[in-house]
Amino acid sequence: MSDDSPKSPAGKGKRPHESSEESPRSVDGVDEVIREQDKYLPVANVLRIMKKALPANAKIAKDAKETMQLCVSEFISFITCEAGLKCMKEKRKTINGDDVLVAIATFGFEDYIEPLRLYLLKYREVSKQGFAQGMDYSNSMVPQQGFPQGMDYPNASVRKLLPVTF
Amino acid sequence: MRQAGTYSSMLAGGMSGRTGPHSLPLARIKRIMKQSSEEVKMISGEAPIIFSKACELFIEELARRAWAAALRGKRRTLLREDVAAAIANTDLFDFLLHVVQNK
Repeated sequence: MSDDSPKSPAGKGKRPHESSEESPRSVDGVDEVIREQDKYLPVANVLRIMKKALPANAKIAKDAKETMQLCVSEFISFITCEAGLKCMKEKRKTINGDDVLVAIATFGFEDYIEPLRLYLLKYREVSKQGFAQGMDYSNSMVPQQGFPQGMDYPNASVRKLLPVTF
Repeated sequence: MRQAGTYSSMLAGGMSGRTGPHSLPLARIKRIMKQSSEEVKMISGEAPIIFSKACELFIEELARRAWAAALRGKRRTLLREDVAAAIANTDLFDFLLHVVQNK
């Protein structure tokens, strides 16, 4: 394993659910406050995904949920660091999708690559067309937040599908 | 392996409809990526999208393995120690050892 272990977003003693706390961090001499809640993915989302993988009668303790939040953030950091190193070596400034995929494969998550490629392919198709033909999205009223900028939907009844803002 | 959720969740707005087609918030993913190191400055649009799916796969795998540990302990409640056991038992998750070893 590489020695360049990513800085853990967890911090000792800080729990993901304590979202009201802030931890100051100095970046180039400028103090940047990173809220605890920004270091982790929302527990509701994480929980929903966990439940998909478990039987209906499974219960999940609070500290198991929090540990999972920590682990996911660590996963993201770990892969991102590796992807970033690759960019640096190749003298590129932007981490792109392929960098992420390569890093994921490099660290042994090869089983994820195929589903990820498929997902990315579908995403690209959907964003080109605006909507996919033949897909059932009859209950897909996507709420207003996070819509693509600069995409015109001349027909008001066309469902907006993509989230987007980065 | 259940694939049915992939496109319907992407196109149908997700299970709750509140996070949009991707089940994990992309802006938050991007922020976590940026926090991973000082060198990470620019991130393409597709990277958080890939992570939203990769994290889903990751969570599912870790949850399943942790559940196996709970069953070995004859419990139907997933505990932190089950997640720790799953991490200890899986070489792939060695990078997470420090997460569960701290108190």
